[in-house]
Amino acid sequence: MQEPRKDILDFLKTQGFLNEKTVLQDNDSLSETGVIDSITLLQLIDFLESKYKIQIPVEMITPENFDTLAGISQSVMTLKNG
Amino acid sequence: MAKAAHYCKKCVLDSTTPGISISADTGLCQFCEKFTPLSPEKKEEYHARMDALLKSPKKQGKYDVIFALSGGVDSSYTLYRLKKEYPRLRILAVQFDNGFISETALQNAQNFCDLTKSTYLRLALDQSALRDTFSKAANSRDAYPGTAKYRASDICNTCISIIKQKIIELALTTKAPYIVFAFSPGQTDAPFVTLTKPFLVWMRKIFEGNLKAMGVTDRDAYLIDAQCIQPGSPEPEVTIIHPFLVWDYDKPAFKKECIRLGWIDPDLKDHNSSNCLLNAFAIKNHLDKYHIHSYAYDLAALVRQGNMKREDAQEKLHVDVTDASIDEVQRKLNL
Repeated sequence: MQEPRKDILDFLKTQGFLNEKTVLQDNDSLSETGVIDSITLLQLIDFLESKYKIQIPVEMITPENFDTLAGISQSVMTLKNG
Repeated sequence: MAKAAHYCKKCVLDSTTPGISISADTGLCQFCEKFTPLSPEKKEEYHARMDALLKSPKKQGKYDVIFALSGGVDSSYTLYRLKKEYPRLRILAVQFDNGFISETALQNAQNFCDLTKSTYLRLALDQSALRDTFSKAANSRDAYPGTAKYRASDICNTCISIIKQKIIELALTTKAPYIVFAFSPGQTDAPFVTLTKPFLVWMRKIFEGNLKAMGVTDRDAYLIDAQCIQPGSPEPEVTIIHPFLVWDYDKPAFKKECIRLGWIDPDLKDHNSSNCLLNAFAIKNHLDKYHIHSYAYDLAALVRQGNMKREDAQEKLHVDVTDASIDEVQRKLNL
């Protein structure tokens, strides 16, 4: 699970302007902490699809799966190991 | 002493903007360093998908497309080209009246609806409440996340979020399968967005949180009607399309085409908007609060993609703080 987590954090630092000093816990809400909005979320999905060569089904894009580092990492691993 | 600005040697971002770093090795900002242009194959794939969607849309309701029409040059051209390429489309063009739309933009919108035989809808909400909401946006700090702050001013984020919420609501209630926004390739990366109920519930919740953070108490009027997305309501069958991620974005060429078709260039001093009188004030307000020009990120992306000349983007980033519209807006917003 470490690999997607690091890639997601790197993406958020470059594309999402996640401050270097911000410490994100695995279960922090990315939308409520102001790290992402709907457009960044779509960019993140696009990034994960090309990075991990996966297709993320639209019905999977829910707050449970995509609003936390843990949820996104788990979703990516599930799809990757399909 | 103020820090010296280091400009990205490719786009228009500079090191004095919070969050932007310029590499000492490459001279590029973090976005230009990671930028990969869209391949011709990918663009062709997008085109084929847009054709497949729009050539023979499912006839679910009275309209095939709910179109966000500002009356500015981008949306006027998109409406015209959409109808030219897909003549069978039944389009409801929605112009959101935020109380600051120029008379010329109102006229342009109606003229282009006549030209394209689209149905025109002027969407007006309570003007006094809207002014109060824009005033709260102007006085707010950090109501929107860092990412949104780079994409638009707090005032424009509020306005465009209301438009998105109400346009989605219209698509759901009229059973229109498509929504079209004329966002530039600097404003979005995704040519197609399929809407699902959980995603809409989530987006509604996020915008409600932004409004709450600004101190807006009467929020329901700005949000998707909760009944449309409550448990048990039909699953949305709506896709958002951004045609400018499929077509070439050659603004001088399509502006010329629009003028040929009767589009009137408004007499606004603001370089970044051809329809909204709020815009110049919104830019200044954002610069004062965050030291971020709310168009810098979009314009930088257009330059990076080769869709705009660097010097043209630099000119657009010039802020005329003496613009008379700024005083007028401040007065109207009681600021």
